[in-house]
Amino acid sequence: MDAYFYIILVVGLLSTVTCVVAGILKKAPNDVTILSVAAVELALVVYLVGSIVRVIAGEPIAGEAWEFWGYLATAMLLPPAAVYWSILERTRWSNFVLAAVGVTALVMAARMNQIWY
Amino acid sequence: MNDQQSTSAAGSRAAAGRRDTRNTGPGRLLIAVYAVFAISASARAGYQILTKFSEAPLAYLLSAFAALVYVVATVSLAKAGSTWFKVSVAAVLVELVGVLVVGALSVFDPVAFPHETVWSLFGRGYGFIPLLLPVLGLVWLYRRRPGQGNGTVKGAP
Repeated sequence: MDAYFYIILVVGLLSTVTCVVAGILKKAPNDVTILSVAAVELALVVYLVGSIVRVIAGEPIAGEAWEFWGYLATAMLLPPAAVYWSILERTRWSNFVLAAVGVTALVMAARMNQIWY
Repeated sequence: MNDQQSTSAAGSRAAAGRRDTRNTGPGRLLIAVYAVFAISASARAGYQILTKFSEAPLAYLLSAFAALVYVVATVSLAKAGSTWFKVSVAAVLVELVGVLVVGALSVFDPVAFPHETVWSLFGRGYGFIPLLLPVLGLVWLYRRRPGQGNGTVKGAP
């Protein structure tokens, strides 16, 4: 597991906890929960840029390269999709949808690390 | 035909106004989780079949089938109407049977099922969510059964 994974681990868990707590408190999605999911997206962008730099620098991906990029691309689609959905229906349940993004990104980052090394 | 309407227990949920939809409130979370599984199971099955199908054809065909079930469940839960409700019930029941049967088979016959489908070991590789999901799905579908609001279709069990 590398630094990119741990960044997503921390940001993802914080985002999930924030959104779950907001959902339990019966709040509709607000700036805090949406920004926490945006932070997950930002962490994924950092992972993306870092990975591109590493590949250009000549570091090999141990597993299937396209599998790695597939995971990364899919993970990056999740936060915008969840935010879009939470805007369509502003109820507490949308906070739980937002909460799902953090853990999913975390699991996917773990898998991406396995593929890379 | 409408005799159920007044005695419906749905009171607090204001179900009458959106009786035939299952894509609001908790249903949204359910659909979101189903969507994640539909995407990941499809991707995984596609990868397995394209790269190493001959290693374990049965397991990988099962992966593809599981992926299809998740896709159907996701779409049908998001759609309104009693036809899509029936599709949802069918998909979720197939999923429940699938995770139970494949889960049991993968314990007793690890050779034919090399732990690489979503349902192997009752979905342990996915935090047992594949086992939990159909149960929550059935509960949700039961609470939002079409017969509750407009009395056109009798609900499941």
